[in-house]
Amino acid sequence: MKMEPFDGDELSDSELDNLLKKWEAPPAPARLRAAVFPEEPKPKWRRLWSVSFRVPMPVAAALALGLALAAWQWPRPGAPLELVRTERVEVPVLRERVVTRTVYRYRAAPPAQTLKPVAELRPRIIRTPDEE
Amino acid sequence: MTPREAFDRYHQAVYRFVYRLTAREDLAEDITQECFLAFVRAPQRFDPTRGSVKTYLFSIARHLALKQYRDDREHEQLDGEELAAVEPDGGWEISSAVAKAVADLPALQQESLILFQYEGFTLEEIADVVSADAGTVKSRLHRARERLRRALAAYREVGNENGTV
Repeated sequence: MKMEPFDGDELSDSELDNLLKKWEAPPAPARLRAAVFPEEPKPKWRRLWSVSFRVPMPVAAALALGLALAAWQWPRPGAPLELVRTERVEVPVLRERVVTRTVYRYRAAPPAQTLKPVAELRPRIIRTPDEE
Repeated sequence: MTPREAFDRYHQAVYRFVYRLTAREDLAEDITQECFLAFVRAPQRFDPTRGSVKTYLFSIARHLALKQYRDDREHEQLDGEELAAVEPDGGWEISSAVAKAVADLPALQQESLILFQYEGFTLEEIADVVSADAGTVKSRLHRARERLRRALAAYREVGNENGTV
């Protein structure tokens, strides 16, 4: 718009209105809404969908490893299912018995005329090793 | 009207109003935010018997802007005397000249002019916002326009439809 200095008369109403319209204000920034209305807390059931918690790295690694092992061990469909079951059963045990038997052999007694009375009685006590 | 509806309907106008009062976008943003936060936090303070939500929000914004104005211009009178005419400059944009001329108005005239001229408020609505009677507002508006007529006389458009040149 071409303007030129003009000293003298005042502006008319319409001239002043036209001039005032030339001054425009910038629009309000969009961030104003977020500043006035911060995000409201969600209901509990909706928060469950986005719940999160912090896990230390070693724990997370151990869990991941455990899951991987479990997945690896998991029987695949169609594979025979190995069932290991432990049962206690009564088994008859044959125990050998060692029986010591003393067999006496009969011997004929010597003739009576061959027996003589002893001149001196000398008893001797014989003990087993346990009694000693 | 809920605070959200009020925000949707009036936040641009409140922002423009404060921007024109302060000539600073950062202040306009802060004051607009504070204005709506006040309404969001305590909507019960709004008394529908004393005016509309619109005038209530603008009165909050005006109060905050005037506080800032007083902080910035401690020694300047709110309803001062004559201002010097804005001299045209080679690179001077007309919008800047208008902004300066309006900014140079006394604060009470300035706010009435902005609300009337740019936001389309009626005299009664302006009276609600500035806590004055409509007659006082009319008087301020008249004086503001008189000053601007002189201050911006040098910017008369060449060959305008009224043919005043």
